[in-house]
Amino acid sequence: MLTFIARRLAAGVFLLFVISLLAYLLLSIPDLDVARQLLGSGAGQAEVAAKNHELGLDRPVLVQYLDWLAHALRGDFGTSWFSGEDVTQALRNRLPVTASLMVSVTLITAVASFLLGVWAGVRRGAVDRFVQVLGVAGYALPGFLVTLVIVLVFAVQLRWFPAIGYTGLTESASGWLSAVTLPVLSLSIGSIAGVSQQVRGSVIEVLRQDYVRTLRARGLSPARIVFRHVLRNASAPALAVLGMQFVGLLGGAVLVEQIFGLPGIGSMTVSYTTRGDIPVIMALVVFTVIGVVLINLVVDILIGWLNPKARTS
Amino acid sequence: MSGTPAPRRGVPGRLLCHPLGLASALVLGLIVLAVLLAPVLAAQGPGASELRDSFRGPSGGHPFGFDSAGRDVLSRLLYGGRTTLGGAVLSVAVALLLGVPAGLAAGYYGRWFDGVASWVSDLIMALPAMVVLLASRAVLGSTAWVLMVVLGFLVAPAFFRLVRGIVVQVRGELYVDAARVSGLRDARIISRHVLIVVRGPIIIQTALVAGVAIGLQAGLEFLGFGGHDGAPTWGAMLNEAFQNIQRAPLLLLWPGLALGLTSGALVLLAAALPDVLEGRGGSTGRAVRRTAEAPVAPEPAARDERAALLSVRGLAVAYTLPDGSDREVVHGVDLDVRPGEVVGLVGESGSGKTQTAFSVLGLLPEGGRVSRGSVLIEGQEVVGLPERRHRALRGDVVAYVPQEPMSNLDPAFTIGAQLVEPIRCKLGLSRKEAAARALELLRMVEIADPERAFRSYPHQISGGMAQRVLIAGAMSCEPRLLIADEPTTALDVRVQAEILELLRRLQRERDLGVLLVTHNLGVVADLCDRVAVMREGRIVESGTAEQVLHAPADPYTRGLLDAVLDHVPARPAWRPRKANA
Amino acid sequence: MQRSARTTLVAAALTAAFALSGCADTGGGSGGSDDTLDIATLTKPQSLDPKVANGSALPFFQAVYDTLVKREPDGTYSPMLATEWSFDEAGTELTLTLRTGVKFQDGTAFDAEAVKANLERFKKGGGADATDLAAVTSIEVVDAAHVKLVLAQPDPGLLFYLSDSAGLMASPAAFAKEEELKTKPVGTGPYRLDAAKTVVGTKWVYTRSPDYWGEKPPYGTVTMSVFDNETAIVNGLKTDQIDTALLQDVGQQVSMKSDPNVTTTDVNFDFQGILLFDRGGKVTPALGDARVRQALNHAVDRETMLSALRQGRGEVTAQVFGPETAAYDPALDTAYPHDPEKAKALLKEAGYEKGFKLHLPRVTAIVNDALASSLKSDFEKVGVELVWDAPDAAVLQKVFVNKEYSGMVMNMGLDTVDGIVLRTLVLPGTFNMFGTTDDTVQKLVGSIQAKPDAAEADLKALNEHLVEQGWYLPFYRMSYLLVSDKDVKATPQSGMAVPSIYNYSPA
Repeated sequence: MLTFIARRLAAGVFLLFVISLLAYLLLSIPDLDVARQLLGSGAGQAEVAAKNHELGLDRPVLVQYLDWLAHALRGDFGTSWFSGEDVTQALRNRLPVTASLMVSVTLITAVASFLLGVWAGVRRGAVDRFVQVLGVAGYALPGFLVTLVIVLVFAVQLRWFPAIGYTGLTESASGWLSAVTLPVLSLSIGSIAGVSQQVRGSVIEVLRQDYVRTLRARGLSPARIVFRHVLRNASAPALAVLGMQFVGLLGGAVLVEQIFGLPGIGSMTVSYTTRGDIPVIMALVVFTVIGVVLINLVVDILIGWLNPKARTS
Repeated sequence: MSGTPAPRRGVPGRLLCHPLGLASALVLGLIVLAVLLAPVLAAQGPGASELRDSFRGPSGGHPFGFDSAGRDVLSRLLYGGRTTLGGAVLSVAVALLLGVPAGLAAGYYGRWFDGVASWVSDLIMALPAMVVLLASRAVLGSTAWVLMVVLGFLVAPAFFRLVRGIVVQVRGELYVDAARVSGLRDARIISRHVLIVVRGPIIIQTALVAGVAIGLQAGLEFLGFGGHDGAPTWGAMLNEAFQNIQRAPLLLLWPGLALGLTSGALVLLAAALPDVLEGRGGSTGRAVRRTAEAPVAPEPAARDERAALLSVRGLAVAYTLPDGSDREVVHGVDLDVRPGEVVGLVGESGSGKTQTAFSVLGLLPEGGRVSRGSVLIEGQEVVGLPERRHRALRGDVVAYVPQEPMSNLDPAFTIGAQLVEPIRCKLGLSRKEAAARALELLRMVEIADPERAFRSYPHQISGGMAQRVLIAGAMSCEPRLLIADEPTTALDVRVQAEILELLRRLQRERDLGVLLVTHNLGVVADLCDRVAVMREGRIVESGTAEQVLHAPADPYTRGLLDAVLDHVPARPAWRPRKANA
Repeated sequence: MQRSARTTLVAAALTAAFALSGCADTGGGSGGSDDTLDIATLTKPQSLDPKVANGSALPFFQAVYDTLVKREPDGTYSPMLATEWSFDEAGTELTLTLRTGVKFQDGTAFDAEAVKANLERFKKGGGADATDLAAVTSIEVVDAAHVKLVLAQPDPGLLFYLSDSAGLMASPAAFAKEEELKTKPVGTGPYRLDAAKTVVGTKWVYTRSPDYWGEKPPYGTVTMSVFDNETAIVNGLKTDQIDTALLQDVGQQVSMKSDPNVTTTDVNFDFQGILLFDRGGKVTPALGDARVRQALNHAVDRETMLSALRQGRGEVTAQVFGPETAAYDPALDTAYPHDPEKAKALLKEAGYEKGFKLHLPRVTAIVNDALASSLKSDFEKVGVELVWDAPDAAVLQKVFVNKEYSGMVMNMGLDTVDGIVLRTLVLPGTFNMFGTTDDTVQKLVGSIQAKPDAAEADLKALNEHLVEQGWYLPFYRMSYLLVSDKDVKATPQSGMAVPSIYNYSPA
């Protein structure tokens, strides 16, 4: 088990390295002309050249990358070119916002999807159709529309929750709860719609397995069969989807953070990427990849725990 | 299983019987048709703009009104659908082309290719999409099409992981092994055996990814990453409407509806397609699975003396087809098993013997039910018996040994756990007592190292050992009637003999009644006291083993007998045993 | 693997995830409290080094740094760090009398040396401030309380600049550590940055400076939060989490205007239009002919654009001089009525009967779908094919340095000082990168610069000439909406889109 984790982590580090290199190279493809963006349209050629030199953009891309890598390995991600934020500090401030959204959404999605999926898969009939329609609705409605309606109803009209802003969990647990409730709700709907369908599908698939009939032939109760055997076997594919969903959530977070004015990394991604703020983007890339690697690892470990066959391979 | 009636109709025909699938296919078809006919249906070009008309409501020829630039909403919706749906098709095609072959190869061959492909897939998944889109925009231009190709590339790992995962599981399955052993080429195995298994999930995934692609396109427009070549897309329309949400909220409705309907229909179709492809009914299940009617009085001819352990009279099994009609697959079977007696139920596959066995157990597959007849177990009528009370009989009165040993063990639990569970539930023993009893059972079925087997997972043991475990499981709660469904068919010849020997021994020691379902007359000769021969849902001949095997009255039985003697020369010489009765 | 180990693992993963979410700092406003002013904005400062201060980010700096001259909401100048100022006869020497006894927040005294150090730093810094101070050749310290600015030629914009970003005074002691100045501003201003509560990039928190030299600032705490879009701002205003903000999006404006719980004021700061740089016809030969430029001016339907694109919120115009300037002539606003027939006739006269192709770069933030397609169809009706080129990040480079485009749709601030308009839009420079001019322009500019105090007639003549020659294609002056809570009084600021930090007070 430990060697498995160690191997996966080593592969993850390698992946991180390759992706950071790729990202740096990709970022240097578009001519983003950072210096001119910074200096404004009035700046002369000489000033632009001086600024490029100051930012180190006049060096070959590979040298720039190695320089970045050398600093990053020491934990120094530099300073944002456009906002002057210390990148490490900025991530320390912003990562928790997005992480708390994503973790909450994932937990809620997991619980709700399993409940709905199992309910639909086992009961079938009307319940099944209800869950399917629910899933389709959650899936088909454009995310920002859902978010807007949620803000208008629960924040602007009813005033149950704040419309914007974030409070740290350590600062005030209740403040945090009220700040994240609506964003989490907005993100969860689509996510539950997707995962619950997967759980439903897996449950139905497992219920058709021969061993389920054999278990029934032994006289075990349906509840026992469903919760002990079916659920466990249906969990593996559902977990894989949940893992992918987690990664995909970052995209959803961009939107939700913008609408709720949350200072997370999602809202940071778009504006900094389009402007070409390399120090910020690279740090975001690094943390995203770390997140993805860890999530995949956790999912693999969980699947291995659920499915002994996968453990050996 | 052998007897499930699969209506043999074409896919379109089956789709007709699936209301949800049909509706979603229709909606999708209509949308595609409308979009294809855009030049005919649209009042004007998608870009034609008359600022004076901006935000004007519906009027003649412009049923959906005008957008913020004074463009006809319907025209843009129709033309926009071309880009949006075409783009989604493009994305999905790219993702399929990249993901599926790579997944098949990685899953099937494993080794270095698997390692490399999985790593690349992880790489793509972890790649920051925003950076990739930005770079691709700079290199390839920023049309909606380029965007969708890049998107297809980015979602390809979804297919790769799905296919690879399934193939890895399937690779180890017996039938693939068998195909490999029989010398089929890899390409043929993949296309004949593996592709069939992954087809369903791929289709579901395709519909989902198409929906995601459409949604993502809208999202990208929202973030200002859309195509900038002026081609209308539903995403761009939605985004434009969103910017004017305060002024004309209704503008959100049309593109939102188009997007919602399309992705909704895709999801529903995805849910329906596997059923349609495999010929299953749409929403069968409890709602359709009617409880059997009260037992109909047995036919007069069969109203003779009934056996004490199991007595079946006039049993008929029917399936409800997706179109709501019934199809009977077992037509009035009479059968008796006395305590301590081994009865063979013989017939070729599809003859209804397994259906008969499942009826006794009360475990007919989805859509099936006992439509007529009576089944007495130890004198208790089980047709029409509530599931709870029927369940109480299973395990400690009637037990079941299945045909395919590997698929009948839960892969997620150790052998021990699977043996202990029914013992604790049915007999109420403590964990420790149950474990001790499970070990004893494993010893009883002649497993060499019971402790080791106890700790093993199903995939770690051989097929023969798995069948012993299943027999141990069946015996765990001291049943009096054992229903064995082709217990040796899936095993190789040497193991077959051992398992038969084991069954014979247990039967003798415990004075079990056994209903042995088989197509193998050799096995019948080996074990059975009496035999019933089934064909097309009816018993064509029954009697003592000696009678039936020596002097078959029915030509069908004779045919069966000839086939066995021709094909199994390796079996030990046939020696009739004395009937116990 | 044993069960207990597994359970621990899952628990550990969850704990780690929650621990991550725990160490966040605060966001969001606390709009309820009277002693706190919560301002929301879309503009964030690059840093708090005054060298990068500009435009709508100015309030971030004004809180900490005072300017030499204060520009009142109506555009008049009043004393701040300089108590008096006077130009010599020739207009090439400006003497400033400085306020005495003022100390920077690090204890350094504010004096003539400090002014010299700041202005020289701006000149060396190469940013917008260097351009603004281009006319200043030297800064001479007369004594501790007097400083003299020597100019190469008269600059009518100088006082404006000294009341704007080029007048922000930071402690010279902090110049040694430039990196620190970016996040630890040291000025003489009414507030200090609360670094502990500030989250750079999203929220800046300022607290009242206890030893401010001037009047006690009205709020104990001022927060400035940066948002990515106005939807969040409007929601914040509606739920009292934000006290005040300037809304640019017309849809959001309309939704706030109907809200009874806020006070709203119109702010006309920007005009929108196409700056036709290529009057020499270097990129698009057709544009070298004044009749073609006039035709384009006649082709656009300004009234319809204003009502459709801005819901009528603003005023159509054909001139680039704003109402606060001397050159402004209300009659010129309607100099080019919508007249496609006349436009076609002019094109025919100029020999472009069959039209021509005009490429413009499209910056989506400014040119939305509706504007893009309406311009395209307006031009199409007179036979001119407008091609929108996909935007990319290097658009500034392409337009201003490579000179690849004949024009660009821009939102330009309406300068209040005639001289500044002259410098930015008329004379060769950033927005006249092809350096076009003609005899009339040269003559009028010469006489305006010769006697800047009596130039109104010449300015008006110049404005009229430029409009007649079709140097630009302005659409309209846009109304923005300054929204504030009922208990906050916010006054629009002349020369800025957003109010100065001094323009807020409890209502």
